[in-house]
Amino acid sequence: MPQTSSGTISLRKFGRSDAKISALGFGGHHLGDAPDTKTAVEIIHQAVDGGITFYDNCWEYRRGKTEVWMGAGLKGRRDKVFLMTKTCPHGRDGSLALLMLEESLRRLQTDHLDLWQVHGMAFDNDAELFIRKGGAAEALEKAKKDGKVRFVGFTGHQNPKVHLAMLNTGFPFDAVQMPLNAFDANFRSFEQQVLPDLTKRGIAVLGMKPLNGHGDAIKHGVISAEEALRYAMSVPGVTTTITGIDSLEVLHQNLQIAQNFTPMTESEMNALRERCKPDAVDGRYELYKLSLKFDNPESRLAHGFPLDTQQSEVKDMLGAEMNTGHPFPEKQF
Amino acid sequence: MVASKLEWNRRSFIKGAAVLGAAPLIRGGSMAQQQSNQSQQVPEGQVPKKPLGKTGVQVSAMGLGGYHLGSAETDQAANEIVAKAIDHGVTFFDNAWEYHDGLSEERVGKALKGKRDQVFLMTKVCTHGRDKKVALRMLEESLRRLQTDHLDLWQIHEVVYDNDPDLIGAPNGVAEALVAAKQQGKVRFVGFTGHKDPEIHLKMLSHDFPFDTVQMPLNCCDATFRSFETHVLPEATRRGIAALGMKSLGGSGELVRHGAVTPEQGLRYAMSLPVATTISGVDTMQVLDQNLKVAVNFEPLAAAEMQALRDQCRFLASDGHLELFKMTTKYDGKVGREQHHFPTTQELPL
Repeated sequence: MPQTSSGTISLRKFGRSDAKISALGFGGHHLGDAPDTKTAVEIIHQAVDGGITFYDNCWEYRRGKTEVWMGAGLKGRRDKVFLMTKTCPHGRDGSLALLMLEESLRRLQTDHLDLWQVHGMAFDNDAELFIRKGGAAEALEKAKKDGKVRFVGFTGHQNPKVHLAMLNTGFPFDAVQMPLNAFDANFRSFEQQVLPDLTKRGIAVLGMKPLNGHGDAIKHGVISAEEALRYAMSVPGVTTTITGIDSLEVLHQNLQIAQNFTPMTESEMNALRERCKPDAVDGRYELYKLSLKFDNPESRLAHGFPLDTQQSEVKDMLGAEMNTGHPFPEKQF
Repeated sequence: MVASKLEWNRRSFIKGAAVLGAAPLIRGGSMAQQQSNQSQQVPEGQVPKKPLGKTGVQVSAMGLGGYHLGSAETDQAANEIVAKAIDHGVTFFDNAWEYHDGLSEERVGKALKGKRDQVFLMTKVCTHGRDKKVALRMLEESLRRLQTDHLDLWQIHEVVYDNDPDLIGAPNGVAEALVAAKQQGKVRFVGFTGHKDPEIHLKMLSHDFPFDTVQMPLNCCDATFRSFETHVLPEATRRGIAALGMKSLGGSGELVRHGAVTPEQGLRYAMSLPVATTISGVDTMQVLDQNLKVAVNFEPLAAAEMQALRDQCRFLASDGHLELFKMTTKYDGKVGREQHHFPTTQELPL
């Protein structure tokens, strides 16, 4: 484990644009699991020094905590990074999406985003709700026109068909985010069904869930963290692989893999897919495709689905984790 | 028995809210009141019979769901529900090896004592990927609990995981158990069930196995969302396989509670489809009476009435939040989760 995290990670071209982003991206959700602001800031500082330029976040992660912490960590470093966050209308009006944008900018302590994405396209009617008159599509256009965001995109982890429906709206997306890992290849596969379409359209491909969200397959010994991350980063056409970082230890582990990264060969990738196949075909390690485990309360409420009190965002909503009797944030930033 | 009831988690969140028992939040609000006032007024007459596919057998147009009999307060309550249902012409009895860890089958076994020949008795086998030997052992257990020497229908339960069709059809798999049980005269007909995905049902049918029946969710919302009615029902009909409808109100009355339909609209819609029967869960006499009021002397809806109900539900149906069995793991049972290495209901409720 390196004591210093300085180094470089290869940069890749962001879709059709001239922008370049690091092949490994910093996942914002897990930052909320850091014990305090100070640790979170130190993680971000070392990540920037270590060569990660792509930073992921989202308006609804941990009730704003992760954006606030990332904003604090990027203070004075904003111009060194490519900053993304997501908006969470979940089918509701574009005007709501724009209010969320203002909040995100304030929390992240910046006047613009490099990439702004519509979060969590999950349900069969999401594309229709996105493109409708007054929907989130209009917010993306306006934010870009106003110079508040450079690029726009959407994300989702449920269903390749929902992604294809979003692409078929004809909206000019710059980026699309989706799960890419060695299990996906054999189960309702984004790699097979969505990625080729993105490459054809010149849209940047943002991979996520390289360790299947919570790393259960690694805990069960089906695959190692290094194999999993290398596979995701080696998928032909992927621009960056976003992975959640909640501690310096995880950061150092990821930096070591990314700084020394050489792509897997096609036969190595095939071998790994085959090895994972028996555990992939019923989706046991991709619960985000079969359950609402990874769907936030904002999304559930907007669509009328029940909440789950075990979810971190719901616990945050109820103030349980802060143990102050008040939901985060305790004070205005 | 109480302890084992609590261990069965598939529908633990809806305790006391079984299908029609849920107090419906309908415009006007007084539905629950109306229900209790009218609960004794089941009309004279019988639930009509319909042909079960090509089998030559007739079954009642409404079936009694076995899961909820295990939720009834006492054995005696279950006995009374079964007796009254039979008196009004219900002949189709649904069950499964895994319901309430056997309690549902035991209750039906007791309640049917002396009445076995008046009904068409079904239960389901719960191998969830395991082999023929496990299936045949479950069959013997089911027969013993149901106090009978044969089933009228034996179905493969809860085909909901993408690889289930492969596991079912594998050499020495459960499909071979269906054949063997039929040959041994222990079951008259065979089929399969599932609530998740029309594509999985179609994959099952594509293997050309001689299924007599196929059970699936059919309701006013299904027509709009990942539709069994649109994709599977015509294929079953084309193959001469009897379709058995279930989850006419969303599994736990979701369609009613969220104001999509009234219980009567929901049941009448499901029963008007080209199905042999509509299986509805009953855990109290009140629910039975409501069901019988719809089912006795039942006349199907006209095509235009059905379309109006589909249209009425379209907006609420389009993201699947009223059909949680398709969109979440809420309705996926304990045994299937174990066999597929999925988290438990406590760990992954939705």
